[in-house]
Amino acid sequence: MKGEALVIFDSVSVTRGDSRILENVNASVFRGGTTAVIGPNGAGKTTLLLAILGLARHTGAIRFAGGRRPRIGYVPQRLVFDRGAPVTAMDFLAAAIQRWPLWLGMRREARRRASEALERVGAGHLARSPMGRLSGGEHQRVMLALALSGRPELLLLDEPVAGVDIAGEQIFCDLLDELKKECDLTLVLVSHDLSMVTSHADHVICLNKTVRCQGPAPEVLTPENLASLYGIHMGLYRHGGGSARREESEGHSHDRDAG
Amino acid sequence: MPGEWGGFGFLKRAAVAAVLIAPACAAMGVNVVSFRLAFFSDAVSHSAFAGAAVGLLAGIDPRLTVAAFGILVGAAIVSARRWSDAPTDTAVGVAMAGVVALGIALISARGGLRSSMHLFLYGDLLTAGDFEIGLAAILLAVSLVFSALAYNRLLITSFDRNLAVALGVRERAYEYACALLLAVVVCFAVMAAGLLLATAMLVVPAAAGRNFARTAGGFFWWSVAASMVSSVAGLPASAAWNTPTGATIVLFSVALFGASAIYARLLK
Repeated sequence: MKGEALVIFDSVSVTRGDSRILENVNASVFRGGTTAVIGPNGAGKTTLLLAILGLARHTGAIRFAGGRRPRIGYVPQRLVFDRGAPVTAMDFLAAAIQRWPLWLGMRREARRRASEALERVGAGHLARSPMGRLSGGEHQRVMLALALSGRPELLLLDEPVAGVDIAGEQIFCDLLDELKKECDLTLVLVSHDLSMVTSHADHVICLNKTVRCQGPAPEVLTPENLASLYGIHMGLYRHGGGSARREESEGHSHDRDAG
Repeated sequence: MPGEWGGFGFLKRAAVAAVLIAPACAAMGVNVVSFRLAFFSDAVSHSAFAGAAVGLLAGIDPRLTVAAFGILVGAAIVSARRWSDAPTDTAVGVAMAGVVALGIALISARGGLRSSMHLFLYGDLLTAGDFEIGLAAILLAVSLVFSALAYNRLLITSFDRNLAVALGVRERAYEYACALLLAVVVCFAVMAAGLLLATAMLVVPAAAGRNFARTAGGFFWWSVAASMVSSVAGLPASAAWNTPTGATIVLFSVALFGASAIYARLLK
């Protein structure tokens, strides 16, 4: 998919201590599309998202279309938090929506917006559920609701289905497709799940500190490119209703990217 | 019971000080529990060793030097966490070791200081005068204003710092402000309950509140309630049983925590 570039990475490098996390990254994210960032652990995928958010100090430039930073929604990797904390999904969203402290009550407008955001992702019934008791898929839907509550133009998702069961993954992916159709959303997706990438991304950036290859998904996701990126033989085969699964000749970790 | 001791001026002042300090401790205790800052709080309270010793040696009001050391240690730990790759508990451990060792060295070198350190080791609400009550009222006001401004933002930050920043939270500013205010509140708790139990004044009511509450707003109010009930019950009990006020208040809050843990286990 080609169109107007919403985000352009121009020679972006990130250094942390003595180690180079990203090196001379040149890539584009196209407006209205779904761009997947793939690569092995420590490739700098998360750092690339953090750089868009302005959270990773970098050299080079990250430019936005029209010179204006779009409204950005962010769904982080599965969070590590106090699972016994008395915070409901509604509290969590309202805390981000209203400035008025929650201990002095929830504003009607914040409650309405939070309810709408939860309904939009099919999580209205979770409003009163404590965050710590949500399943992986439910948790990610609440995080998506939070990201959408800011009416983003650009949505960044970091390993959104890691730790989510197959049913939850399917619901989440269908939801993303629906939202993209409904809203004028541009998605950037970091994922280890190549089946998800194949099914949902139209543009792929292969990253291992620097961009190894990028382009339309069918052109980029070749066994040769994947072998070069991951250092092992990998390919994709299609089965069932057209969804793709990956095959590999030796073990490969599904661990989330620490970079 | 209140009729028996209420006539004593010092007990009245202690009661007023207790009901002013209790909600301030609870308000900041919520953050201590949410951000797992109990060890941080301990390091700040133990800096009273060095703070009091330096004040007594230099002829400065030791309450001022205790507060100064508390703030200094709090800021040093937050900075170390930001600028060094050492784990937070390591940074806290080093800071705590430094201030405790300095305090012990100074106190040992000047044997005369030992008796003056008693107040900071065990605290004493009964010595609260008008000046302390005035300061406690200011501290309560500042804690409530801070909680009003920061509560929602710190809640999001406790889930994920990057997410908070992506949502526009200036988490660094809030972290420093929270640490500094926490340091001041801990110093007050040192005066009330002593440096050994200061952290308990913050952590235990908030831990009970966490168990009783079902919502984020409820967490705050249950913590305040647990802290107030402990103080209001602990003060007359300490007078009746002739036990230290700080320790008695903490014992009541620990009992409340026990009840809250049973409630959370069976009914929540």
